[in-house]
Amino acid sequence: MTAVEPREDDEAVLDESALVEAPAPEDLPHDDIRSSGSALLEVRGLRAGYGGATVLHGIDVSVAPSEVVVVLGANGAGKTTLLRAIAGLIPHSAGEILVTGDVVKRARPEEMLRRGIGLVPQGRGTLTDLTVRDNLRVGAVTRKDRSGVSADVDRWCEVFPALAKRRDQVAGTLSGGEQQMLAIARAMMARPRLLLCDEVSLGLAPVVVQGLFRVLRELNAESDTALLLVEQNAELALAIASRVYLLEAGTVAASGATEAFRGNDAIRRAYLGY
Amino acid sequence: MEIFLDRLFSGLTSGSIYVLIALALVVVFRSSGTINFAQGEYALFTCFVAWWLTTKGCPLVLAMLVSMVVGFALGVVTERTLIRPIRKRNEAAVLIVALGLFTALNGADGWIWGPEDKVFPHLLPNGLNDYVLIGGARLHYDSIGIFVATGLVIALLALLLNRTPLGLKMRAVATNPESAALSGVKVGNVLSVSWGVSSAIGSFAGVLLVPVLPPNQLNLSGFFPILIFSSAAALLGGLDSIVGAVVGGLVFGVAESMLNGYATFLGGSLQLTVAFAIIVVVLVVKPTGLFGRRRVERV
Repeated sequence: MTAVEPREDDEAVLDESALVEAPAPEDLPHDDIRSSGSALLEVRGLRAGYGGATVLHGIDVSVAPSEVVVVLGANGAGKTTLLRAIAGLIPHSAGEILVTGDVVKRARPEEMLRRGIGLVPQGRGTLTDLTVRDNLRVGAVTRKDRSGVSADVDRWCEVFPALAKRRDQVAGTLSGGEQQMLAIARAMMARPRLLLCDEVSLGLAPVVVQGLFRVLRELNAESDTALLLVEQNAELALAIASRVYLLEAGTVAASGATEAFRGNDAIRRAYLGY
Repeated sequence: MEIFLDRLFSGLTSGSIYVLIALALVVVFRSSGTINFAQGEYALFTCFVAWWLTTKGCPLVLAMLVSMVVGFALGVVTERTLIRPIRKRNEAAVLIVALGLFTALNGADGWIWGPEDKVFPHLLPNGLNDYVLIGGARLHYDSIGIFVATGLVIALLALLLNRTPLGLKMRAVATNPESAALSGVKVGNVLSVSWGVSSAIGSFAGVLLVPVLPPNQLNLSGFFPILIFSSAAALLGGLDSIVGAVVGGLVFGVAESMLNGYATFLGGSLQLTVAFAIIVVVLVVKPTGLFGRRRVERV
């Protein structure tokens, strides 16, 4: 049997020619926004990995309320691991995760969700044997307000009309794009204050991806949900993000405002690929 | 025709018992991907508890309810203290733990209550004249009772899974434990409850089973063949399918009865072999069983 974690197991592979032109670390922007008191999420010196292999070697990341932040980096840089550690799916061996200033001692998924942090996992995590409606209801198991839950089911079916048509259909029969819509809607059913999105665009047609990003932008604007996006499609992500973290081999190689990244030719060529 | 109906009724009766134990196996497999080989011994242990209570003057129905509560607790405790900690370290070792539980529970029965057979009280009337004639064949009251009880368990289980918040969580964990956890489902608790529900169904089946199981007495080795037949039935139907367990159990019961009646050259002692042959053929031809979705890959 083969291990199914290729994205994290792969060594970071950057284009050799790009590496030559890559700026030295001291040239990279490092505007670390240490807004302790006001940050919705703050990650300090996070170390985490799988089994004996450490993937993250001390990461500092913060997200302010209703902010949109994007994490970029090559395959194997630790982007997915970072989101999984924040969501409480894997334990961290060192460092702290703070939500609105409080240290989370035992980061477990239900605990992070209770504090308002939800994850749309890579590969969508569809509950394939359940109907679309039941998938959405599972997303709300932490909530007690029954009528609010069914109103939210209706609301997300309005946001994604494709889901409304298939409400009573088993989710395994949906297309990839529809399953990604369902994954976002399921995570939003818990009404998180921060949504972590892992590669929402993966394997989807450009027109579908644009639709998904439009929805992400809207839910950020309308319900004040902060977003922490991990993306291969840097251009789309930068279009909605105000800040960027650049991961390289499990550390933050650079961070700062989106404009600074777009304006820096060396960074653009080396990391954004255009 | 009468003989055929006789064999059909007898097959449906033992088939119903297989259905119940198969359902118990399916409830555990759906949640944790484990075939609990100790399932039959859970049922036997709680049957001894029920028997012991009746010898102290406890009415059988009450004793049965108590045995189901004991079964539920036994399932929860073994999942939490044995199965879960060991699964984290070694998935394959869970199977050995189940086999260990099998021998441990059987040993405990003999140690506590002694090795001799116990006369078990009948829950349902089963005198020589307690039957209705259908097409000239006798359908005994205890068979009717077992049909009704089996139908009741199926209905309650379907209600639990499809109409309750707990059932929604159980189905979510069955299809994708990680996504369920990400949605805030406490997966560990759902696993424990699944083992408890499974074991309680087994206890219920056990009390029904003893009076119709030759030699109609409670003994230490009586439940092993039942477990084998029920596992075969669950595999036939698909280990993660409730419908599969029902169809598989009934098909298996009737097939067994017909083989016994018509294929007399098998001599009655080859039934277990036939059961194993069915398991092998199904796994080769259709690894997910008739109604199942998930392959058995962890065994």
